[in-house]
Amino acid sequence: MSILIDILLAIIMVYLAIQCLLTPRLIQSVFLFFAFGLGLALAWVRLGAIDVAITEAAIAAGFLGVLFLDALKSFAPKVSVKQDNLEDIYKLPRRNIKSLILPRVILVLGLALFLFIALEAVWMIPDGGGLTASAEALLPQSGVEHPVTAVLLNFRAYDTWLEIGVILLGLLGVFVAGGIKLYKKPGASKPDPMLRQVILFVTPVLFLFGAFLLYIGKTGPGGAFQAAVLWGAIGILLHLGGKPIFAMIPRWLFHLILTMGLGFFLVLGFLLIADGRTLFEYPPAYAGLLILIIETLGAISIAAALTAIYANLNQMEEETNEVEPTT
Amino acid sequence: METYQIYSLTSAILFIIGIGGIFMARHFIKKIIATVIMGGGVFLSFVSFAQRDAITFADPVPHALVITGIVVAVASAALALALARRIYQLTGEETFTNDK
Amino acid sequence: MIHLPSSPFPALLVGLPILMATLSLFFRPGGKAAVGLMGSILTAGLALIAFVEVTQRGTVIHILGGWEPPLGILLRMDSLAAVFIGMTAIVGVFISLYAWGYFRAQETSAEGLPLFWPLWLFLWAGLNGLFLSNDLFNLFVTIEVIGISAVSLAVLTGKTPALFAGLRYLLAAITGSMAYLFGVSLLYGSTGTLDLGLLGEVLEPGPTTSFSLLVITLGLMIKMAGFPFHFWLPPAHSSAPAPVSALLSALVVKGAFYILLRLWMEVFGVSLTYAAGQLIGLAGAIAVIWGSWQALIQTSFKLIVAHSSVAQLGYLLMVFPLLILAPGVSADSADWLSPAWTAGIYQVIAHAFAKASFFLSAGLIIMALGHDRIESLRDLVGNMRITALAIGIAGVSLIGLPPSGGFMAKWMLLKGIFLSGQWWWAPVVLMGSLLTAGYVFMLLRLAFAPAREMNTFRPVPKSLEIIALMLALGSFLIVFPADSLIQFLESSGVFGSGIESIIEGGVYGND
Repeated sequence: MSILIDILLAIIMVYLAIQCLLTPRLIQSVFLFFAFGLGLALAWVRLGAIDVAITEAAIAAGFLGVLFLDALKSFAPKVSVKQDNLEDIYKLPRRNIKSLILPRVILVLGLALFLFIALEAVWMIPDGGGLTASAEALLPQSGVEHPVTAVLLNFRAYDTWLEIGVILLGLLGVFVAGGIKLYKKPGASKPDPMLRQVILFVTPVLFLFGAFLLYIGKTGPGGAFQAAVLWGAIGILLHLGGKPIFAMIPRWLFHLILTMGLGFFLVLGFLLIADGRTLFEYPPAYAGLLILIIETLGAISIAAALTAIYANLNQMEEETNEVEPTT
Repeated sequence: METYQIYSLTSAILFIIGIGGIFMARHFIKKIIATVIMGGGVFLSFVSFAQRDAITFADPVPHALVITGIVVAVASAALALALARRIYQLTGEETFTNDK
Repeated sequence: MIHLPSSPFPALLVGLPILMATLSLFFRPGGKAAVGLMGSILTAGLALIAFVEVTQRGTVIHILGGWEPPLGILLRMDSLAAVFIGMTAIVGVFISLYAWGYFRAQETSAEGLPLFWPLWLFLWAGLNGLFLSNDLFNLFVTIEVIGISAVSLAVLTGKTPALFAGLRYLLAAITGSMAYLFGVSLLYGSTGTLDLGLLGEVLEPGPTTSFSLLVITLGLMIKMAGFPFHFWLPPAHSSAPAPVSALLSALVVKGAFYILLRLWMEVFGVSLTYAAGQLIGLAGAIAVIWGSWQALIQTSFKLIVAHSSVAQLGYLLMVFPLLILAPGVSADSADWLSPAWTAGIYQVIAHAFAKASFFLSAGLIIMALGHDRIESLRDLVGNMRITALAIGIAGVSLIGLPPSGGFMAKWMLLKGIFLSGQWWWAPVVLMGSLLTAGYVFMLLRLAFAPAREMNTFRPVPKSLEIIALMLALGSFLIVFPADSLIQFLESSGVFGSGIESIIEGGVYGND
């Protein structure tokens, strides 16, 4: 019985993924992407990966979905002109149809072959055994009780540290790509009374729930990234409500908030090296406390970066009216 | 068939759908969505193996890797989105067709 | 591996540039440049100290968090990693000095330009991390750090062609790293470890291993712009600002090559067939011919140089078929392995110096003329003597004329080709050099030609010209320590090794 649920879920995910790419309307595509993300989150739950499910729902489906929706604002009005559907192909002269269809047929055949060997590879995979046993054996020394948090912030803390750096890098990239003057204050949008009510109600709830997730990460599913998205949502809501917090605080404070997760992690690592240990080798007695501090600061930094990414993308169009395109 | 096998086979299918989408979709947004679907397939395979290797709990290492991976993928997608929107803003182009 | 001497340098080499990048964010544009330049010099200094440490103590490791593999991550600095880190440091510090002067000489029209410094330091940290990493997943994170910072750097000017090229580059990079990660997932599923050393010991041949090899190789080929995935490179490298083009061409693409080399030699030995080596060599050979031909027919200087990168990277792929031994040949009797490895390493280093010099010269020409159409290069010698000299010297190294580093690379490649009996690659090497000579002499002929009309060369800072010249000279100077460098590299274990390929099996594996 339960295997039928899994098969059904698998079929739905594949269907959603294909539909999402084939549907001619961009807005449908984005909503199908949302649905796909939720399907994937369900799959994580079925596989017992609650942490991944929360991260997927919050960051991949939630945050990224919001970014896509926000992008539709600019792409949507013209989308009917250049839809990427079959009608487009029929409108082309005959010769072009041929030149367009042949490579596609070859590509589809190639992908089918590729799919076949991929399925074979996945089906025939030997059982490597994973690292469950060694993680379980060392868990008591890690300072936390939840194995995923132990891997993220202790056993493989280096990856996590670099990853916090990647988010900061993503923000820098968005600054560069967006062509927006750094940290420009956005034009004051008219606050919507409904929105204000929603913000007043939702902000404390989001904040508390985020703090809860962060704290629970020590013993159960939850942790810095999940908390960060909820706190990032606060920033996004405030931005929408005409209160862009990062335009309101001094610039150095904004930078401090953005970098303190990465910075504290690194400075701690350097201090540990100076102490004759290796990078991120916490003294066992303080491991739990240090991990909690790192997670809190990391969550705040990531939340700030996510908010700033959203705010930058969101302001992009408002900028056009003032600045001449630099082509 | 084990539960994990259903998902690991699905992961291969999603991976291929994603690759196909990146090459065949024309609109920037769809190409970016295709990369995220491709990534979803990859992450699904990690987690399916974690479930297979469960003892008292599922293998935590792939879970942690996937959380890291999702965040990294989102950062790349956000940058791609910023580039796509900027291109549209400056030129009105939504595809690579007229890219010179 | 765990009993090797421990050293803090591997961790510092990644941490220091990120620390400086983070610090530089707090400053206004002028301060960003100062902190960034200081960070570059410190990182380069640290890299040289670490290099010396490796020459004295041999391979050093850093067990992150004190958790040994397979659960933890190990950083390993052997002589191969040390050479790549040293190369990055020397080329990187010259490009940093150039960038300092270059961005000061620009009108500050584009607002993003000061962000060059934090992005470049992040890129540097990513490269160092990549060379040091001994963990499959950590390699993924480092290539993402490199990918995102490289794309952001490539679109620094904010001009439309750069944005198009940047988006194409980014989509290719994401596809490549996700393909790589799928292979990592399958390898982890089938062995339960991510550590390269352990993987090499426990990996069994089979359809899963072969498929991982296929997707990982394809993913990394996309990243290093190997044929037929080279489409993103010329637009991305040619539309970036000059120091960035130099970084991308000289250093960034080498990262993916380094992983490919490590993985093929240390992990996938059990799954590689003779045919797989021939196939990747063929891709390299096509890239050499196609890239050089494209370079010959371009009309803008930066596009010539960018297409030339596609060709020069092709030579790197042509090393692989020499390292995969035909069935029945043992590694001890294969006397061409050492020349083939030397060719690969010298090609990497000589190309890094020569190509960086080329792009920096291109930046100066754009600064002087306002554009880089080659017909305006007439009388370059009369107006920008040092730049013309730099182009000439770097060009000689690219062609592979003695006594340059490029000559060393191509000579050793030919030597390896003939010793191994795979003579069919030899015409490609010669043809590539001939075509390269074609476009280099075309540039030089124009540079010496008398001006037709009054070309207005605006004056450019002499110091920048000298930096470009020094990099060009560097591609010659690297030949002198060749003997001791090879001796040093031989201590790394992987250098000079070959794969004794399995006898049965098809092109892509042995299932």
